Amino acid sequence: MDTLSAIAEPNRRKIIQLLAQRGNLTASEIAGHFQSSGPAVSQHLQVLKEAKAVFVTRQAQRRIYALNPEPLHELRDWLFDLTNQWEQRLDKLDSMLSKEKKDSNSNKSQSRKGKKNGSKS
Amino acid sequence: MAQNHEAQFERILDAPKERVWKAWTDPKQVANWWGPDNVTIPECEMDVRVGGTIYIVMLAGEAMGPFKGTRWPMKGQFTKVEPLSRLTYTARAWTEGQGPETQIDQITDVTFEDQKGKTKVTIKITITNADTAPKAALQGMSYGFNQQLEKLAKFVATKH
Repeated sequence: MDTLSAIAEPNRRKIIQLLAQRGNLTASEIAGHFQSSGPAVSQHLQVLKEAKAVFVTRQAQRRIYALNPEPLHELRDWLFDLTNQWEQRLDKLDSMLSKEKKDSNSNKSQSRKGKKNGSKS
Repeated sequence: MAQNHEAQFERILDAPKERVWKAWTDPKQVANWWGPDNVTIPECEMDVRVGGTIYIVMLAGEAMGPFKGTRWPMKGQFTKVEPLSRLTYTARAWTEGQGPETQIDQITDVTFEDQKGKTKVTIKITITNADTAPKAALQGMSYGFNQQLEKLAKFVATKH
């Protein structure tokens, strides 16, 4: 599964956010934040691991999970670009339309000189 | 495993639907606002009817540094055209002069709703080659680095 698909699932997204906020955590610490069973959580961890969104280190008996920043940064940048592009586009469209409106309003008030107040919308 | 991914953007524009529709369907007007910062639109073709072509080329300007002069075409077809209320197209975007690894396939669905004389525009983008698209986008164009993970999560959703 690609990284984007892996982290799109809400529970897995929550795991990613936990790791982002708290740093490294053991499987049982992660499971402590979920209602669902331990096996369900470890299945999610397994998917995240296979998608290279997290990596695991062993300390004695414990498995410690940490974020794997590389693929997450790639995704972040990609989504940022997509978002950024559309936000900028809409900003430009917005200012094009409002400039036009301002121009036509000032024309109106010019031509309606003498009348009481141009229409306000 | 390839899955679809969606991102959605909304904006309320201070103009009636008729005006906003025109801004989206007249190629001259589209060319005015389509390019993000530091990007111009040297070519823009909008044959707004079902099966008609949409073809827009973005050209990186001076301020894009190493990308300057790069052309990013997008070509596709309109699949839904409901005057004043909906515009849907499927398209492929790529980096000119580079291979298929730069391709991004997407469905873009734009709806227009009247809100007391203003217009709410909703843009829903479905990326249909999500397994390769993030890499493609990175190779073609990357000029932003500050998004937080929470925001990332907000924009990521699996299409079931």
